[in-house]
Amino acid sequence: MTSQTPVWAENITKNFGKAQAVKGVSISVPQGMIYGVLGPNGAGKTTTLRMLLGIIDPDTGARQLLGHANPRDVSSRVGYLPEERGLYPSMKAREAIAFLGALRGLSWNEGRKRAAVLMEGAGLGHAIDKKIKQMSKGMAQLVQLLGSIVHQPELIVLDEPFSGLDPVNQEHLEKMIRAEQARGATILFSTHVMGHAERLCDRLSIIAGGLVRFEGTVDEARASLPMVASYIPTSNGDAVAALLPDGATQMGGTWQFTVPETGVEDLLMGLIKAGHGIAGLTMQRPSLHDAFVKIVRDAGSSPSFEDANSDALGAAK
Amino acid sequence: MKQFLRHAAIIARRDFGAVVMTPTFILFLLAPLLMIGLAIAGGSGAESAARNTADAERIAIIAQKSDIAPLLVAEERLRSLGISPPKLEIIESKSRGTSSGLGGGSSGGANSDTEKSTALFADKNKDYSAVMYGSLDAPIIRHEESARRSAKFLSEVAEQVVRARKSGASEGNQVSAAQMEPIKAARVGVTGQRTTAYFAVVGIFFLTLLLAGQAVGMLAEEKSNKVIEILAAAAPLEAVFLGKLVGMFGVALLFVTFWAGLAGIGLALTPRGAALAMSLDPAVGMVPFLILCALYFTMSYMLLGAVFLALGGLAATIREIQLMSLPITILQFAMYGLASAASGKPGTTLAMIAEIIPFSSPMAMASRAATEPALWPHAIGFAWQAMWVVIFINFGARLFRFGVLKSGGWRAIFAGRSTKPAA
Repeated sequence: MTSQTPVWAENITKNFGKAQAVKGVSISVPQGMIYGVLGPNGAGKTTTLRMLLGIIDPDTGARQLLGHANPRDVSSRVGYLPEERGLYPSMKAREAIAFLGALRGLSWNEGRKRAAVLMEGAGLGHAIDKKIKQMSKGMAQLVQLLGSIVHQPELIVLDEPFSGLDPVNQEHLEKMIRAEQARGATILFSTHVMGHAERLCDRLSIIAGGLVRFEGTVDEARASLPMVASYIPTSNGDAVAALLPDGATQMGGTWQFTVPETGVEDLLMGLIKAGHGIAGLTMQRPSLHDAFVKIVRDAGSSPSFEDANSDALGAAK
Repeated sequence: MKQFLRHAAIIARRDFGAVVMTPTFILFLLAPLLMIGLAIAGGSGAESAARNTADAERIAIIAQKSDIAPLLVAEERLRSLGISPPKLEIIESKSRGTSSGLGGGSSGGANSDTEKSTALFADKNKDYSAVMYGSLDAPIIRHEESARRSAKFLSEVAEQVVRARKSGASEGNQVSAAQMEPIKAARVGVTGQRTTAYFAVVGIFFLTLLLAGQAVGMLAEEKSNKVIEILAAAAPLEAVFLGKLVGMFGVALLFVTFWAGLAGIGLALTPRGAALAMSLDPAVGMVPFLILCALYFTMSYMLLGAVFLALGGLAATIREIQLMSLPITILQFAMYGLASAASGKPGTTLAMIAEIIPFSSPMAMASRAATEPALWPHAIGFAWQAMWVVIFINFGARLFRFGVLKSGGWRAIFAGRSTKPAA
């Protein structure tokens, strides 16, 4: 709730008409972390971020951004990349970045200088004076991202920042996010692509059906599922199956089974004593993807009402 | 507040630059030239057509030779008073006449002149609308139904001649000898002030209507480009609205300054223009009046622009924008009617009503500056109008927040705070 917790919200809800988009989200993002908000399409991620930033007000619940109840009070200390990218097509890239910086408290001249440096750093030096409408979608997206960090904010909120970027630019964006964290910024981003979250996030929340279904580190998310063992016995036979946990499956000479909560030691001892031996054994932690799918499925989530709000914001789209 | 104004200034600067730094702006700036050109072309065409018609139109007097000179003098005297019937032809009568008679002193002559007049009306090359003949004391004037005024003119010409003769004045001389002494009026008076008031009302109305309507589509760009979310995340919507209004007002001001400058030069260089300018006599004095008019134009633009902006923000399509624009334009015409009626009746209840209603207030107060010398009511007028500008901007932002961002409810639109604190 202080600047040590740049983003804090408790039980915020949002309805659009009769549709409940966010049913009660609580979130707490520690300073200096890269924090992911994960969820399937329509889970309520974007609505949650918009409420946290003060673009829309929650119907109920409380929120604070950098210790302030009114997010716009700290507008100059926050950077935001919305899900629906928006730039003035006739503006030159450098001016667009300077404009976004100016909205966040930076002077135009300083914004222009920093824009040039940032664009050079992002490999867009050749496009500094290009109009947005002359750029590819990916380039324009990078320009907008640069615009969201040009004023060196303490908190950067990125809504689906990787969507629409090619793999090279995705990697570049990951580096930029890490560089911003190294500078001292706190980064909150939403995604439904697990790879980015797995590589970047210090902590994450999984939202499904308008509620937070999980909160913790990537490892904790993965640890929410038991490990899976792949076992190759020295001698095969039906007797092996009787010694393995229920649900064990055989594929070729390899058996796969979920590691029991008590561990595999007793199980392996039993197999060895029964003369089956161990020709091969690997134990694998489930991926974040597996954990995400299980958490979302357990939540019985179906796409909810976020799209209604997106339509409302982009009424002309 | 400082941050609020800063945000508004940034958005205003962007919008102003986005409009002015485009080739389209030159077209916009010079659009009145096109209008003037078309008006000149149309006007000269109409004038040419009117001249051709006028050239063919005639009135005629069939008169004795001795009467021709005094009739011409009388005609000239009447025309010098600004009476301008069609061109007069005086045709010598072939009949015998008397000294105070036109053609047709005898019955035979009358027949001859009657026939002549009939022949004139039948002329295929000229359009005779009135012909006078007979004695000057009791002339016969034949005229078309639509040419009563021309007939009256001919009657007056005969009257002048007969009166002069009866008074014994020599031919062509006036009976009286008035001495003309032109003086420069110390003040133009009520007429000049009311003319000035009306000019102020018309000027503010047309400029506002022409320029403030552009505000209606200003948020459409942000909505279609999805920039609105960036703006809404960084700045209060009220600042966004104010910034957009100020930005477009800057464009309008540039336009008005350019054309007002040209018009000023034009007035100064032409004698008629200078005379027109001199005929304007605002009660508060010319310089304060011009300053007040500029300020009232600002308020008028802001008031109407705020409404256009708010409604335009809610519209999802161009068709909706057009549908929404029409009622506002009709309302503005009604306000113009009220203010212009009030300009002719300063100090009345009607004038006060026009000064109080927000949309007619700038026009009515500018009109007041032309007719009443007191300056303090204008301070109240500005405060009153500024309050309504703030209300409209606030209301528009709340409407946008509710209608487009889907944030807050109907109650929030009318509630005291624009942003509900999270509880």
